[in-house]
Amino acid sequence: MQNRPSNTPSISPAAVVVAAVFLIVSVIGINWFTTFVPVVLPEQASAESKSVDELFYILMIIGGVVFFLIQGMLLISVIAFRARPGDEGDGPTYHGNPLLEIVWTIIPALVVVFLAVVSFNIWTQNTEPKAAINMVEGHSISINVTGARYAWTHQYVTERFDPDGNQIVINSGPELHTYIGQNVDLTLQTQDVIHSYWVPAMRVKQDLLPGDPTRGGRPTQLRFTPIRVEDRSYPARYPIVCAELCGDGHGRMQGAVIVYENESQFLDQFYEPAIHAILNPPADPILRGEMEIQNYICNSCHILDSLGWTSTTGPSLNGVADRAGERVPGQTAEEYIATSIWNSGAFRVPGYDQQMAAFGPDVMEATNVMSPEQLYSIVAYLCTQGEQSDCDMNNANVAIPDAIQTVFGYEVDITFGMDADADAETPDTETEASDDSE
Amino acid sequence: MATIAVPLGAQGEQVEAEALRRPALSEYLRWSVDHKIIGVQYGVSAFLFFIIGGAMAMLIRLELWTPELDLIVSGAAYNSLFTIHGTIMIFLFIIPMWAAFGVPLQLGAKDMAFPWLNAFAFWLIPPAAVVVLLGYFVSPAEAGWTSYPPLSTLFSGDGQTLWALGAHLLGISSIMGSINFIVTIFNMRPPEMTIWRMPLLCWAVLATSIIAVMATPFLAGALTLLLLDRVAGTTFFDAASGGDVLLWQNIFWFYSHPAVYIMVLPGMGVLSEVLSVHSRKPVFGYRMVGLSSMGIAFVGFTVWAHHMFTSLQPELRIPFMITTMIIAVPTGIKMFSWIGTIWGGKIRLNSAMLFALGFLSLFVIGGISGVMLAALPFDIHVHDTYFVVSHFHFVLFGGSVFAVYAALYHWFPKVTGRMLNERLGQIHFVFTYFGFLFTFFPMHVVGMLGMPRRVAVYVEGFQAWNQLISFSAFVLGFSTFIVIYNVIKSYYHGPIAGANPWRALTLEWQTTSPPPPMNFDDDPIPFEDPYGYGTEASAAYLAVVDEAFSNGSTRASEH
Repeated sequence: MQNRPSNTPSISPAAVVVAAVFLIVSVIGINWFTTFVPVVLPEQASAESKSVDELFYILMIIGGVVFFLIQGMLLISVIAFRARPGDEGDGPTYHGNPLLEIVWTIIPALVVVFLAVVSFNIWTQNTEPKAAINMVEGHSISINVTGARYAWTHQYVTERFDPDGNQIVINSGPELHTYIGQNVDLTLQTQDVIHSYWVPAMRVKQDLLPGDPTRGGRPTQLRFTPIRVEDRSYPARYPIVCAELCGDGHGRMQGAVIVYENESQFLDQFYEPAIHAILNPPADPILRGEMEIQNYICNSCHILDSLGWTSTTGPSLNGVADRAGERVPGQTAEEYIATSIWNSGAFRVPGYDQQMAAFGPDVMEATNVMSPEQLYSIVAYLCTQGEQSDCDMNNANVAIPDAIQTVFGYEVDITFGMDADADAETPDTETEASDDSE
Repeated sequence: MATIAVPLGAQGEQVEAEALRRPALSEYLRWSVDHKIIGVQYGVSAFLFFIIGGAMAMLIRLELWTPELDLIVSGAAYNSLFTIHGTIMIFLFIIPMWAAFGVPLQLGAKDMAFPWLNAFAFWLIPPAAVVVLLGYFVSPAEAGWTSYPPLSTLFSGDGQTLWALGAHLLGISSIMGSINFIVTIFNMRPPEMTIWRMPLLCWAVLATSIIAVMATPFLAGALTLLLLDRVAGTTFFDAASGGDVLLWQNIFWFYSHPAVYIMVLPGMGVLSEVLSVHSRKPVFGYRMVGLSSMGIAFVGFTVWAHHMFTSLQPELRIPFMITTMIIAVPTGIKMFSWIGTIWGGKIRLNSAMLFALGFLSLFVIGGISGVMLAALPFDIHVHDTYFVVSHFHFVLFGGSVFAVYAALYHWFPKVTGRMLNERLGQIHFVFTYFGFLFTFFPMHVVGMLGMPRRVAVYVEGFQAWNQLISFSAFVLGFSTFIVIYNVIKSYYHGPIAGANPWRALTLEWQTTSPPPPMNFDDDPIPFEDPYGYGTEASAAYLAVVDEAFSNGSTRASEH
């Protein structure tokens, strides 16, 4: 045995030199590390992203110190303290050094306290509710996000009203429209399982939690404020991603945040055209139905190629008109489609185990309310989805209202209320789409 | 390199091959109450599951070679694939891996306190595995190994029910095994083996077992509620009927976060052994290393909700951020103590040591990303992304699996009486280390850039990253064949190891390799310090033991 008399490990001069070199390398290395911060993160598109990235920068510096310290000491040990060939002796009997142990307990403790304080400050700053949220034309409106397997739906409950006095709701599907400086405050609610709403460019994420629908579900909030990104042309587009496993099509559950340069661009390019379209629907039931169906969350469950829907939770609507007439003996295609929307519990397509949400004139959820006229137009539109439709398309304005009358007992106003008062008021919208199909 | 790797206990080579009193291979396929048989049964079956789970990982990486869903038939099939990959790796590989062979030997005990219970705990694993795998082939669970309701209750196939039953059985096995360890460690030590002479692997297994006994019943509770929801029509997790989906997340993570320490603490114990023996130097701060295991075990129970940072009520997130950060402190103590251990020693750079150093080098990256994930505002961005996938593979593969390999190279001579091939071990290390690094390090980046976890399709911009990851994963997968070949070849043709090839001071080396049925003839007398290398006394102790075995005796305690 080659025991050392001394109780401390001896460090060769070579090790000291290596240590000095290592120190220089790590200073350069940490500096180099931090240059990657902008490369490994997406654009900074929100006010929150700035502070989150600052935190990451701090974490990279501290992590870099730990990384180079540990890896460096490992490397030094392997080089400097490797037993020489033939040396079968033992190392020094050195059991520890209480002072050193106290030091390497207290320093990490102080570092984590520092990190906790910094993180706490950034967190409270990023999440505190802001005074003016979702401001549009001086009003604070609410923006609701619905997650359903496998699609996002955004609804703007505007401060505008239609002639009947109903609040106008814009459905922008998988796209969230906002503008630089708007304090976005989303209310998130899921239709089925847990989803997670993630906008990488904004550095925000929030889970959507199933709740009791009779108590208004279990809404969660997500807040961020878009900022200008250098060298970006506006409107700018950022992906929305589902980050919580929600089933088969989890990876396909995507959307986009559209950021406009300012409020007036937002109003001109999104808000006003959307409201205009809702206030001035085409009189042709098929065109009207095409618009109406997109105001509901049908896209979150069904495939429909003509509208770009991709969700596979429910049966596909492609070619639905070709099949509708044969589904239930004694029921016409019009009756079948109408029934499956308003009385969705009546049928279950084999292979699909989920109950479709309820739609109709008296349902509880405001976003699912559907008048007989809306049903009429949606059925008319769906009747066009097929190669040789089972529906009586030459007589749609008679056959479909009859079907609704037969099944549900509702009278349908096939003029959409325009015969009485609207003729004079909305001449321009009727020109393009009115008479050709009837 | 090779000269250093030659076993130091040269007397072993004089022993005839026939003198290896190894159990017949058929012994390992039967019910046995000998902890050494059971230890090998655990180790080999766990390794088989590691291969199955690893093959699934290869399929996952093959699917991710392109951004579209092409190789695997559907998103659902892909989901069930990673569900079973995670379940196998956690419940069937890494948690059971650590049992039974070493602890009684290290303590100087003849066997576990309850040998029959020990065997029973092992024999629960095959039926549990059959149940889980049957579920996979019948109607697979698709909700990930975390099985969040309502995906796992209302939307997943019957395989989910079988998954829960299988996990239940494995939980029972784990509790029985852990109780056995606790009782063994407190009651089976010979008189001279005081608590502060205990090797650090025993300390780590003690901490692990305490965690398992305390935490696993929570898993059982959660699984029972899940099963009732699925088969008996209860609504614990059904929000529409007054249930709460976060209830599952809270109970599940109250088990599954401590379970991370069940998976990694024994590996840390292995590391203390291997680093000390192969650098011929005492463990730096032995008591602090032992106690920090207990510290991790304790703090580990207070951090579970950091897995729920994006679903938890916002005001509850800060306290869990703070507890999570605190756990970095005892972990840091261990890291620095290990470096203190090898610093100034006489390092033998053999395969066991390489894997132990690989653990240190990779685990520190997992630790750094762990602190990053604890920092709430940053976690919000990377939660449920590939950054997290990367983090836990650094901890559980870079940590636990590297420790498994270090343990394999270190204790294989004790278990089989023969040495593993050193050159193959070094090649295995190089492939594993670099395969691992290039598989999992780039995952940090794709995660931060915006790729969520558990997806079969992704944005085209990430394809180059994913191809690098997949290619490296195949290298990593290939490395496994090297160690399998090495184990099989060395089992029959490896050099005879002798009782104590590493000239280690802990008690498992103070008996023959493999040890006789009752381990020791008498109660062995441990050296005053399990890691007291470099003293005259330790040299004298080893010399006496060497003498005893070169005379053909199995008595380790005649001095």
